[in-house]
Amino acid sequence: MEKMEKNKVTLRVNGETYDLLTYPHRTLLEVLREDLELTGAKESCGEGACGSCTILLDGLPVRSCLLLALEVEGRDITTIEGLAAGGRLHPVQEAFVEHHAIQCGICTPGMILTAKALLDATPEPTEEEIRRALSGNICRCTGYAKIVEAIKAASAREK
Amino acid sequence: MRLPPFQYLAPRTTEEALEMMSRHKGKVRIVAGGTDIVNRLRQRLLTPPYVMSLKGVAGLTGMKRKKNELVIAAGTTLRHIEEAPEVRRSFAGIAQSAGLVAAPPIQNVATIGGNLLQDTRCLFYDQSELVRHAAAPCLKQGGKVCAAVKGNRRCFSVYQGDLAPSLIAFDASVVLKKAGGSRTVPVLGLFSRNGRHPLTIGDDEILTDIIVPIPKGAYGSSYQKLRLRSGLEYPLVSSSVFLSLSRQGVIDQARVVVGAVGPAPTVIEGASLFLVGRRTAEVDVEKAAESAFSASRPIDNLALPGSYRRKMVKVFTKRAIEGALLSLQKAGA
Repeated sequence: MEKMEKNKVTLRVNGETYDLLTYPHRTLLEVLREDLELTGAKESCGEGACGSCTILLDGLPVRSCLLLALEVEGRDITTIEGLAAGGRLHPVQEAFVEHHAIQCGICTPGMILTAKALLDATPEPTEEEIRRALSGNICRCTGYAKIVEAIKAASAREK
Repeated sequence: MRLPPFQYLAPRTTEEALEMMSRHKGKVRIVAGGTDIVNRLRQRLLTPPYVMSLKGVAGLTGMKRKKNELVIAAGTTLRHIEEAPEVRRSFAGIAQSAGLVAAPPIQNVATIGGNLLQDTRCLFYDQSELVRHAAAPCLKQGGKVCAAVKGNRRCFSVYQGDLAPSLIAFDASVVLKKAGGSRTVPVLGLFSRNGRHPLTIGDDEILTDIIVPIPKGAYGSSYQKLRLRSGLEYPLVSSSVFLSLSRQGVIDQARVVVGAVGPAPTVIEGASLFLVGRRTAEVDVEKAAESAFSASRPIDNLALPGSYRRKMVKVFTKRAIEGALLSLQKAGA
């Protein structure tokens, strides 16, 4: 095999532009956590089954562990670090805190980003729509009742 | 777990991509949405020298309605297909298939071409390198005997794609291109029925388009899927049904396709006997579903036992026929 070479890639994360050199076999999750030190997205199952590595790609929730970093050049990436603005938490983050929708916290960044994407597209979702949107994110602590409650509250607040 | 190293190829045009496929024949794997291949790389089920990205190639996403057919570019995401009003209206079974793949975050990036071209799966094969190396390699890993049916010399791995059964029910075809040539084959022709090498696409070919003929007159369709929970699951049994009516109000075409019971989707020829030539009120749903049961022989190599999955073939085929009849009625038949 030819010698492995690093590729140049420009990533736009949380509104900032980063020029990076990386090997093509690195995932977006690895680059976010290790190169950009954005450790909000978590590696949990490592095979796309759990949703704890969720980020928003052009506003839609996706698995960063299933994306090669080189594949997302030129796209808009949002991680949990990009939600709070002006020293204030995002309304969905506030609702999660107030409704005790967080326990160990590993699934929380993915849950919040998924909820944000849902509310951006559907400001007043039904409970069924909330549950379908969350169906790709697994929580092993609280169950989902408080998470669904928090999203309903955030939806009402944004109205 | 890190992915194994590879060289990255990033063609800008289909021609360039085909040329690369031909130059590195057999050594290239394509990444489209990535949701399937990245895991296979991670598990070392694949360790290709080259991975080719199609993201820079123009013309590989979107849908076009032509006179008698809908042409879906292979790089179109499942979300796009599930949400497109035209697909929901005219190809309900296909929209349902796309909407039932894994969960929304996967549908946001996974493509129809990637979904069609996924490899077969088995509890004894789709495991980490560590788990696989703890036992003798199975047939699909290059060993001598099957691990699921101990000692057997046939591979029983299961094709678990959600889209193929519905595309076959709609009589769809795929366009396969290679340097200097192109062929169009029915979706069913993509499958070899051999679990070790389940797909017939050449290693210098790229699937570029899916062509779905637009049925004439009144018709209905439905896709039903057995899974353990309502998200993040491959089908453990699936059934897709297409029914169309003649002007006289008699069913003139019926296609029943069962998925996730063997290395390829199965067209249940025997079901037509109880559907075709009858008015919708006269179809024998029970017997048609029974013929799907008789034609299916799932074994114990997925999360539920083969004997149970076989019973569910009947249940889910019944639901799919009833769903297709309902969508026929809604179409105003």
